[in-house]
Amino acid sequence: MKKKFLCVLLSAVMVAATLAGCGGSSDGAADSAAEESTEEGGDEASGGAGIAKEDIKVGFVHIGDPSDMGYTYNHDLGTQEMQEALGLSDEQIINKYNIPESSECDTALRELVDAGCNIIFGTSFGFEDYMVEVAKEYPDVQFCHSTGYQAKDAGLPNMHNYFASIYEGRYLAGIAAGMKTENNKLGYVAAFPFAEVISGFTSFYLGAKSVNPDVTMEIQYTNSWNDPKKEAEVAQALIDDGCDVISQHSDSTAPATTAEKNGVWQCGYNADMSVAAPKGSLISPIIDWGIYLQEAVQAVIDGEEIPADWCQGIDSGAVYMSPLNEDIAAEGTQEAIDEAIEKIKSGELQVFAGPLKGVSPEGEEFEVAEGDFYPEQVEASAPSWCYIVDGCNVAE
Amino acid sequence: MNLLINILTAAVLAGTPLLLGTLGEILTEKSGNMNLGVEGMMFMGAIAGLAGAYYYEQGVVGSGGTPSGIMAAVVALVSSFLVGAFGALIYAFLTITLRANQNVTGLTLTIFGTGFGNFFGEYIGIRAGGYVAVGDNIKTAFGRLNIPVLSDIPILGKLLFNYNWVVYFSILIAVIMAYFFRKTRVGLNLRAVGEDPATADAAGINVTKYRYLATVIGGGICGIGGMYMSMVTTSGVWVHNCVSGYGWLAVALVIFASWHPARALIAALVFGGLTILRLYLKIPGVPMQIYDMLPYLATIVVLIFTSINQSKENVMPKGCGLNYFREER
Repeated sequence: MKKKFLCVLLSAVMVAATLAGCGGSSDGAADSAAEESTEEGGDEASGGAGIAKEDIKVGFVHIGDPSDMGYTYNHDLGTQEMQEALGLSDEQIINKYNIPESSECDTALRELVDAGCNIIFGTSFGFEDYMVEVAKEYPDVQFCHSTGYQAKDAGLPNMHNYFASIYEGRYLAGIAAGMKTENNKLGYVAAFPFAEVISGFTSFYLGAKSVNPDVTMEIQYTNSWNDPKKEAEVAQALIDDGCDVISQHSDSTAPATTAEKNGVWQCGYNADMSVAAPKGSLISPIIDWGIYLQEAVQAVIDGEEIPADWCQGIDSGAVYMSPLNEDIAAEGTQEAIDEAIEKIKSGELQVFAGPLKGVSPEGEEFEVAEGDFYPEQVEASAPSWCYIVDGCNVAE
Repeated sequence: MNLLINILTAAVLAGTPLLLGTLGEILTEKSGNMNLGVEGMMFMGAIAGLAGAYYYEQGVVGSGGTPSGIMAAVVALVSSFLVGAFGALIYAFLTITLRANQNVTGLTLTIFGTGFGNFFGEYIGIRAGGYVAVGDNIKTAFGRLNIPVLSDIPILGKLLFNYNWVVYFSILIAVIMAYFFRKTRVGLNLRAVGEDPATADAAGINVTKYRYLATVIGGGICGIGGMYMSMVTTSGVWVHNCVSGYGWLAVALVIFASWHPARALIAALVFGGLTILRLYLKIPGVPMQIYDMLPYLATIVVLIFTSINQSKENVMPKGCGLNYFREER
């Protein structure tokens, strides 16, 4: 009898500890927020009276958590920036971390609505379908989705998309890579064959090509936004294939540390990855999410409308570059990047400028004529360039 | 030729965590305990190894010294072993002493260990200012070895003498285990306990002691497999869910290896090879999703073959999965 009791007790301890572990991954503020939710109905209609700054609640759904030192970490920095600028307390921000792109996203969104959030940000591509559905049911809550494309056509006044012209930053990182490469062969750890990813690696390649006409690039997919083991394996395969500068469209620092381990170089994404790989990481384009987050939350406070599509780039600071790793970068890199930044700002330089020819993964051909350029992220905030250009070799 | 060498070295690196998990589980199952908590113990070992190395480094840097890579490797190894063994100890206490259902306890241990790893990983990260990363010395300690002369031999050098130390360590464990089961008295006793605990008991073997020790040491070896994920694969950076199902693959590999430590070497190499194959060998027209299925297809094929070909030697220990209760004899 005594043993049975002990057995039950021990199992209970294990279960309790597990639950504590799960609870730790979402923000502790969720609990306290849930208690107050009954008082706040969220009656304020969008574009109406607004809401007092002290009463606003902001929710976030993230695919990872800040420990990735990449995408989620960087978005979280934007959250902190917004929180500080607007003077919100910790209880007013509710983060849901490590939410997969599945029905768990739906649950997380509803939990945030229940907790009294007035505005909810979803930060991963695959969240969009779930957000559109939940947005239909809660017209009083504002839903903002980054990297998505459906807000414009969804016909919902409370659904919005936002992104930054990261392709400009990728182009600049490409300059650093093109000047550094010795084999004239770059490698790219790509997540999925989506426009967002293809636009990213094409601009990176075009940047490299602008300073090094002989350069080519190998691209391999991981089929996951965040799978460090796979990212490390893909990076290793690219390096084994002869690539000596690796870049990535994936969330973790594994490509950076793998490059460092092999004595080659890397251009990061979303965070200054030279913290993880001081001898490997050259430079990283970074999005300053704080600018948009602040605008959007302020709009809710003022009762103003949030634009359906929001996209800014290097000229407003929404996209910026991490400090160049001078110890390993090729000579003159900083000057070349600064020059390109000026030209982008003045409009003299267009990343997707003609003559440019590409083929989409579906086999559709596309051509930009000389003197013309492709209006990337102009009409919608989401990247739409999905054509693979000559010199980029994609492993399917 | 170069391609083949690259595939083989990448396969070895991808297969090493699998090998450690498999060896740990073989030792456990040989004693008659079916511990499905490999994934959990690997998670516990992963965070323990990283935490050990990280806090060792912090401690040394804090007192003004330079952290030694070898010391950090030893600390990571010992702490991942101990914490993995601790997970197995919970399991052993529940199943051996309290005779709880082995499958249920193992599954609970997986859930517990996953939460344990991610919770402490994030906790240490938050305390460190958002991000845990070890320094250069420790990274080098888990990087490729450069053995003078040997590593420089063309082809063979890269193929045999250019891995990180954990690879050699895991092969050593496999060899020791193979010898232990086949050639030693204690190994024979352990196998007897796994096959028929009642008979072993009658022969004067302490069944409880054997089961406890095998399960706990097996769990420790699984923990070292977890350390490989956090220290080698992600280079000393905690990444959420870094073990991501490899513990389950290890459980399948035990069957693939038909409970032989030496065969586990081959099984892990094959599995590792199948997981990285698509990155190196591109057959036009074959979509990458097909490649990603290969390890699992291979498991099914092996399961079919082992169940058709029921030799006495290559099957699961007879007592595996059953708790032993002396009074029920």
